Amino acid sequence: MGHDTSEWVFVGIVIAILIYVGVDSWNIEKLLEDIPADAETIKVTGQQWFWSFEHADGTKEISTLHLVKGHAYKFEIYAKDVMHSFNIPDWVVFQDAVPGRINYVWFSPDQTGEFPIQCREYCGLLHYNMRGSLVVEDGKS
Amino acid sequence: MSHTEHDAPILRTSPRRMAKMLIIIIGIQVVGGVLFFSHYDFWNSYLPIAGRPVVHNEPGNGPGPVTGKTVNVSLKFVESPDFKTYAFNALSGSDQNPEIHANVGDKIVFDVTNAGKSFHAFAVTDSKEGPGPAIEGTTIGSADNPMKPGAKGTATFVPAKAGEYYYICAVPGHRELGMEGKIEVSEASSAGAASGATVAPTGNKVEFSLSFVMSADFKDYAFNALAGQTGHNPDIKVKSGDTVTIHIKNSSKSFHSFGVVTDPEDPNSVVWNSAFKSADNPMKPGESGDVTFVAGAPGSYHYICTVPGHADLGMNGNFIVE
Amino acid sequence: MVLELQKPRPVWQIMFSTHHTDVGYLYTVTSLAFLFMAGVLAMIIRTHLFFPGEGVLISDSVTSNRIFTVHGSTMLFLFALPFAAGIGNYLVPIMVRYKDMAYPKLNAVAFWMVPVGGALVWLGFSDTTWVAYAPYSIIRAPGPAADMWIFGMKILGISSILSSINFIVTILKCKHPDLPLRRVPLFAWSMLTVSLMTVVAMPTFAAALVMMLTDRLGVSGFFNPAMGGDPIAYLHLFWFTFHPEVYIFLLPAIGMMYEIIPRFSRKPLFSQGSGVFAFVMLGLIGFASWGHHMFSTGMDFTTKTVFMIGTLAAVPASGMHVFNFLATMWGARIRFDAPMKFMVGGIALFFSAGAGGVLNTAMPLDFITHGTYWVVGHMHLFLTGTIAFGFVGMMYYIFPLFTGRMYSEKWASVQFILMMWGTVQVFFTQHILGLEGMARRIYDYPTDFTSWTQLNQIATVGAWILGASFVIFLAQLIYYSAKGKEANMVDPFNLGGKYYYPYQAKTPHHTGY
Repeated sequence: MGHDTSEWVFVGIVIAILIYVGVDSWNIEKLLEDIPADAETIKVTGQQWFWSFEHADGTKEISTLHLVKGHAYKFEIYAKDVMHSFNIPDWVVFQDAVPGRINYVWFSPDQTGEFPIQCREYCGLLHYNMRGSLVVEDGKS
Repeated sequence: MSHTEHDAPILRTSPRRMAKMLIIIIGIQVVGGVLFFSHYDFWNSYLPIAGRPVVHNEPGNGPGPVTGKTVNVSLKFVESPDFKTYAFNALSGSDQNPEIHANVGDKIVFDVTNAGKSFHAFAVTDSKEGPGPAIEGTTIGSADNPMKPGAKGTATFVPAKAGEYYYICAVPGHRELGMEGKIEVSEASSAGAASGATVAPTGNKVEFSLSFVMSADFKDYAFNALAGQTGHNPDIKVKSGDTVTIHIKNSSKSFHSFGVVTDPEDPNSVVWNSAFKSADNPMKPGESGDVTFVAGAPGSYHYICTVPGHADLGMNGNFIVE
Repeated sequence: MVLELQKPRPVWQIMFSTHHTDVGYLYTVTSLAFLFMAGVLAMIIRTHLFFPGEGVLISDSVTSNRIFTVHGSTMLFLFALPFAAGIGNYLVPIMVRYKDMAYPKLNAVAFWMVPVGGALVWLGFSDTTWVAYAPYSIIRAPGPAADMWIFGMKILGISSILSSINFIVTILKCKHPDLPLRRVPLFAWSMLTVSLMTVVAMPTFAAALVMMLTDRLGVSGFFNPAMGGDPIAYLHLFWFTFHPEVYIFLLPAIGMMYEIIPRFSRKPLFSQGSGVFAFVMLGLIGFASWGHHMFSTGMDFTTKTVFMIGTLAAVPASGMHVFNFLATMWGARIRFDAPMKFMVGGIALFFSAGAGGVLNTAMPLDFITHGTYWVVGHMHLFLTGTIAFGFVGMMYYIFPLFTGRMYSEKWASVQFILMMWGTVQVFFTQHILGLEGMARRIYDYPTDFTSWTQLNQIATVGAWILGASFVIFLAQLIYYSAKGKEANMVDPFNLGGKYYYPYQAKTPHHTGY
């Protein structure tokens, strides 16, 4: 064992770091999965090669989405043809849009401004151009 | 270890023979490369069967009204001696790929002969591109079981709906090489507005110029000018029977295709063969081209970009036929 | 170049030979040819991405999609796997003190499937990306390119399975009776582990390919929602194979490091037992983590946690290898010849790739990095940084055995510096690009983000440097195999130990192992 002690110490340190990463991730992910009850549902549809949105009150928007600061929003993500991935990088909103399935992700913007939306799953010809815009505004929606 | 080392000389391949081996291998690669590059577009030429648009109302081959009239059409598959041009009946001139006019309910009987040296297959389809899908009952042979040189066959087509159909060679690639002819089926009696029905040309020619434009942030799509500017999505008015030429330019950074449609929500409802390129084979940025067609029955149509979604994003203008 | 069994014989006899040295050599040459072909494609992509804006070098996005699909498929299946098989074919029979592989004819058959599969992939030039996710590959990917890709992959998969069977039987059943399994060299252990993993993992992908093909033809609906199927099913089948597969790519390179590091350190390996344990552990645990490629598909929390744990559990095994190498080098009189340089560079990059990987596997962090250039940087650090470095180092080490001549140490050092610098510059930069949000598999990027443009340009310059290093590599291989100085076949690197020696050994137990 004497010859190998250094190896056990090394492996022990590695495992300790990994446990830390694992537990911390678990905690944070739990927060992400917990969708608040008062989140307004926004339907997001991804199709080749643009995003369209429908607010809870029926308003439809294409490519540009207008939301209000300080509200919680839950995205209900649909896909019409092939797999896409709905991503607002600045807010770490990210879930795949899979045809035949509905995925959910939520967030609550606390800053106004204009933020890019992009597709992050290869979907063909214009995947690189499947972009949109999130506009977060103050005040009443 | 000494008794195992270098008892016999260690023989190796000479660099000369290694070079010979590489020439064989690389020669094969060069041949493969030539094969590849000469067919670059073909490898990506057709949609998988699972992805082909599903035709909801099968327009062909009745049960529908029957007029009792029979149209006999005699077609031959022909090829040019250098196998670069393929066509029906003649390789050029007015006899090439004859256009067929008929009414809904007419019985069109095709007598097809393979007068070429290669294998072909016959089908009637309503799709604008590709080898199918064929309307049931109108096929002679198929890509997997084609007509051999000299083979003859008959097919019957009774259109139940007005519109544009095509008789083609169903072997993949042959339609693109020229084996395609148009069948225009018009209503027995004139229908309401925007029926999409075709009419005979009056000889009056008109021309328009349209260009696809997009805003720099890729959010606004339009023809000619962006929303709010003069010239945005101009209205086009023509008379029924006019021969309309549209000069189209893709002045944007993305891919588009053009078509006059009855329903701007449905890029497949292109009428009168007015499509220029398509969603699967679009216009590249900077590309320009012309499409000429005969404006059909009066009504309010739309000219749109036929890439799905682009009409919704703004590439939708009025095309009014008086 | 190749050891001949008898008087010089015609080229076609070498090409169709079944002897393990010939087959190993053919595998190696073929895989290197594909390496350079796929490398050219990579250079095209990176150069195109130097400037934002369409049409910089590649005229349209379809061509770009096809280029990165073929680049990926070629590098993985036509370079990484065949090269490992090639070196394995050459050395494993020597290492287990047997005269050839267990099934020589099967060996040759498995090799010849590689150029055929490669031809199908290259002639089709499909645009599905190398992962070919459903439903794009089923309802949209144009044919016949995608169908040719499917058939090409199928053939390559079968070739992989056949050669794996060969390795398993050779190592387990044909090894010399006086040689206990635990004393078989670690490179052979890595090939054994990899072969066992292939036999378990690859058939799943073969099934997925058949299902994809029938789906494309419209006769089945496994992955097509319009016919009642589920695209996520494809992802599960694919990643069940391909997560273990990434370990299959990696382990032979680690095995090669085990060949070189102890020798050039002129010190015995720190612990053969740890190495064996780490290989076996990775081989088993590698199957428990495939879902980490699918964290964003909408899996439930418990499933994600299980896969995260499975991924993290495999990290100590890799850590043990790194420790083994470092402990072997500790206090040693190291000879930093080219093979050693590449192996040590490889370990350093392996460590950084692994560190980045731990970040990926933390579930919420994956949402920042999945589908971005971070992943591209991470995986290329493994593939180029560890696997290519390991393979290049091994190629230099085995150069005298193949050709009887020595390469130029000076040019190999130049190559090493350029390759190390280039790899770091491209792939570390891509990690940053990913954090900035740039998605992967894109033909063009918007000019609104100045940082994207700058980072892309830095990465492209790094790619050119990396490309230059490979040009030097190619030139070395060609020139010095014909004109190099004749090597001292007993100990070409003057290490004081035993080099491999040729098949003529009549009394195998004197191989020096």
